Amino acid sequence: MELQASKAQAVPVPSVWRFTPLGLLLVICLILPWLASPLWIRIATEVLMWAGLAQSWNIIGGYTGYLCFGHGAFFGLGSYVTGLMMVKLGWPFGIGLLFSGILASLLAVIIGYPTLRLRGAYFAIATWAFGEMVRQIATILDVTGGAFGLQLPSFLNLRYFYYVMLAVTGLTYLTTYFLLERARFGYKLLAIREHEEAAEMVGVDTVSIKMKAFALSAFFPGVLGGIYAYWVTYIHPDSVLGAQLTDFMVVMAFLGGIGSLWGPFLGAVVVQLVQRILWLFWGEGTFYLVIIGAAICAVVLFIPNGLIGLMESRFLSPREAVSQLRKTFKW
Amino acid sequence: MLIDGLLIGGLIIVVGIGFSLCFGVMHIVDFAVGEWVMLGAYTGYIMVRYFGYDPMIYLPIIFLIFCGVGWMIYPLIYRAVSGKRHNPVIMGLVFTFGLSILAKGGALSVWGYHIQSITTWLSGKSISIGVLTIPALRFAGFVFGILVTILFMIFLYKTKFGIIIRATAQDRDTANLLGADVRKIGGLVYSLYAGVTGMSGVLIGTLFSIHAAMGAKYCTLAFFVVVLAGMGYVPGVIIAALVLGLLQSFVGVYIGGRYTLVALFMVMYGVLLITPKGILRRGI
Amino acid sequence: MILQSNDLVKSFGGVTAINHLSLTVEKGTVFGIIGPNGSGKTTFFNLVNGVYTPDSGRVTFDGKNITGLHPHRIAELGIGRTFQIPAPFTKMTVLENVMVSTFIRASSLKESRKMAWEILELVRLDDKGNTQVANVTLEDRKRLELARALGTKPSLLLLDEVMAGLTPSEVKAAIELIRSLRTRELTLIVVEHIMDVILSLCDRIAVLDYGQKIAEDIPDQIVNNKEVIRAYLGERYSARN
Repeated sequence: MELQASKAQAVPVPSVWRFTPLGLLLVICLILPWLASPLWIRIATEVLMWAGLAQSWNIIGGYTGYLCFGHGAFFGLGSYVTGLMMVKLGWPFGIGLLFSGILASLLAVIIGYPTLRLRGAYFAIATWAFGEMVRQIATILDVTGGAFGLQLPSFLNLRYFYYVMLAVTGLTYLTTYFLLERARFGYKLLAIREHEEAAEMVGVDTVSIKMKAFALSAFFPGVLGGIYAYWVTYIHPDSVLGAQLTDFMVVMAFLGGIGSLWGPFLGAVVVQLVQRILWLFWGEGTFYLVIIGAAICAVVLFIPNGLIGLMESRFLSPREAVSQLRKTFKW
Repeated sequence: MLIDGLLIGGLIIVVGIGFSLCFGVMHIVDFAVGEWVMLGAYTGYIMVRYFGYDPMIYLPIIFLIFCGVGWMIYPLIYRAVSGKRHNPVIMGLVFTFGLSILAKGGALSVWGYHIQSITTWLSGKSISIGVLTIPALRFAGFVFGILVTILFMIFLYKTKFGIIIRATAQDRDTANLLGADVRKIGGLVYSLYAGVTGMSGVLIGTLFSIHAAMGAKYCTLAFFVVVLAGMGYVPGVIIAALVLGLLQSFVGVYIGGRYTLVALFMVMYGVLLITPKGILRRGI
Repeated sequence: MILQSNDLVKSFGGVTAINHLSLTVEKGTVFGIIGPNGSGKTTFFNLVNGVYTPDSGRVTFDGKNITGLHPHRIAELGIGRTFQIPAPFTKMTVLENVMVSTFIRASSLKESRKMAWEILELVRLDDKGNTQVANVTLEDRKRLELARALGTKPSLLLLDEVMAGLTPSEVKAAIELIRSLRTRELTLIVVEHIMDVILSLCDRIAVLDYGQKIAEDIPDQIVNNKEVIRAYLGERYSARN
């Protein structure tokens, strides 16, 4: 909320100019598949997916302050639900997606009930354990194809998937905007993040609100996972349930700016960009992880409010930067 | 099978104690604990490859190297944790999370996905103790674990420094008022933790395979041990590590190796829900 | 009678923090609670407020048994409380802090905002409404604590050591403010260390020591109460006198 500090003075009538950058973005997103090459459509689809995932994580991690390190499990669950529904039950894609989202939310409610009672570090560890557990279970079960993965029916239409991804990610952002930035729900989440006990004291039903936030934050990854499954046609516990999924979500949200509306989007774009640029020049698959890891450390140390926060506050002058560095290493 | 479990557990104790102490004294959950193990294993591997000799010889050197690295990294961690921003525990967590990604990425970039291992003079040999024949290496690992644990305990309970550390773990502010430089203490603890964990990485490297992504497994084990023991409660680590070893062996033999990790997670998750302060309820 | 605690007992580990405490507070009065450090004052508030559940005993509010209810439910029922060390929502503005507490009374965000501004005016914080809490002084944070508690439109307000850390002039201002809150619709229970404040503000005072009530009376009588003197100043002093 601090990032939109003048909310209290918010002008009720939005000025047209304020919406121009957003409108531009929207237009670009809408016409992109007709202008870009298949490669770029694919990249854009993936960026959109990550933008949606990062924002979902942001709901429970950034706004509410409960860092879930197993969030990838909801994505994976969504993938498998859609996959299995289409393969084993022959149901259409749309229905599969709906079920993916709902079941993911349901799972969140089930594990959220006991887990949200834990504080900070314990919640992180518990959710991390949960995420790994889901992955192990998927590897063992036969119905999911176990370690061999699951093959979905083939449907090769890049534009179609681009627009579906765009729609769902757009929905994620719209929901975040209306429920978290502009409604009492969001204020309550922030209150819980800042001081849960005090929030209880002023009438916020923390247990219920946290559950709602968690369920909401699980819905979108579920749906996005379903889209991903149909898009890439073949899923596997390591590809849709691996820890790297959660890692990326966390990284993108933090880098962009947790607790903000556009932070995760920015974070997703930057991380994907860095990853692909590095792949282009260095050719290898993993060096970008070093950059990402270093970036997270830098963010925590110097710009805990992420890139969005950086854009909103003043930059450190060189002298200030040096004195900060010296203070860090002084014994 | 029982013995096997206990022996593995012995090694994990070392990692567990350091990790637990880290949280107890500085309230930092080091997500990179598995990566310290991994780096230790790789360092041992490199030293053996380029300098020859037995990896066991390098243990003290590796201890010092890792202590040094930990000492240098600690100011950053301290800074991450002591800002007036959000929940410091969370910030520390995310920071070490970043470190772990960095380390893993670096290892993957340098060594790729190949699996290595280190051999020592003890590899492949067995020792007979009474009626049991045990692989010598596992036994050595266990002995190492016990030795380090004993040293740690002596350090914590019998030396001046140790008492200061324990005091800081129990009540930071008072310790601060009584003259303990909390920051230096944290640095010392973290360095020791890094050094010891790096060392155990070498031994783990001799016992199991080394690969860049092995950190996750040891992170799991460390979390498991510490959750069962209660965060910050060091004596509980010994029991928890043994439980871990036994559980692993038990599941591996009777249910199937694939289920080991699932079982571990379920138990850990269950403990967190029922007794988040550890089985003995002595955690922080 | 707006609040009554019946034979409350609360222990932590081996320490009995509240030892069979029974109190009655009349509506519309200012009730003071004093006692040496560790006598259980804050624990008592925590028990009334729902933060702790008593091991045994009962808390009745306005005829209703509120023992063991969640704090947010108790806030809904009409009990507000301030923390000893202010616990504001740091990443929000002063206004937003108060807005959150009005959510249970207001039906829309707009109404919350309006109510919050009114409360800020009441506690003279309206000039800092749009300031980030991080940039606000301790005294203002204490006012914010109060404002936030008032946001829930309580009929009973628990004030936990509001004066702690304030300069004498700030204390005077705080007393003025608290006095202005006295209405028939608002009952106050005040925990304080500064004797002058308590004596001048309260209609009745209860004195706690080791979790027990050792005296309850009007201010003039409390100062002369032998038990009270003994609890605060020790055996030898009271023996000397």
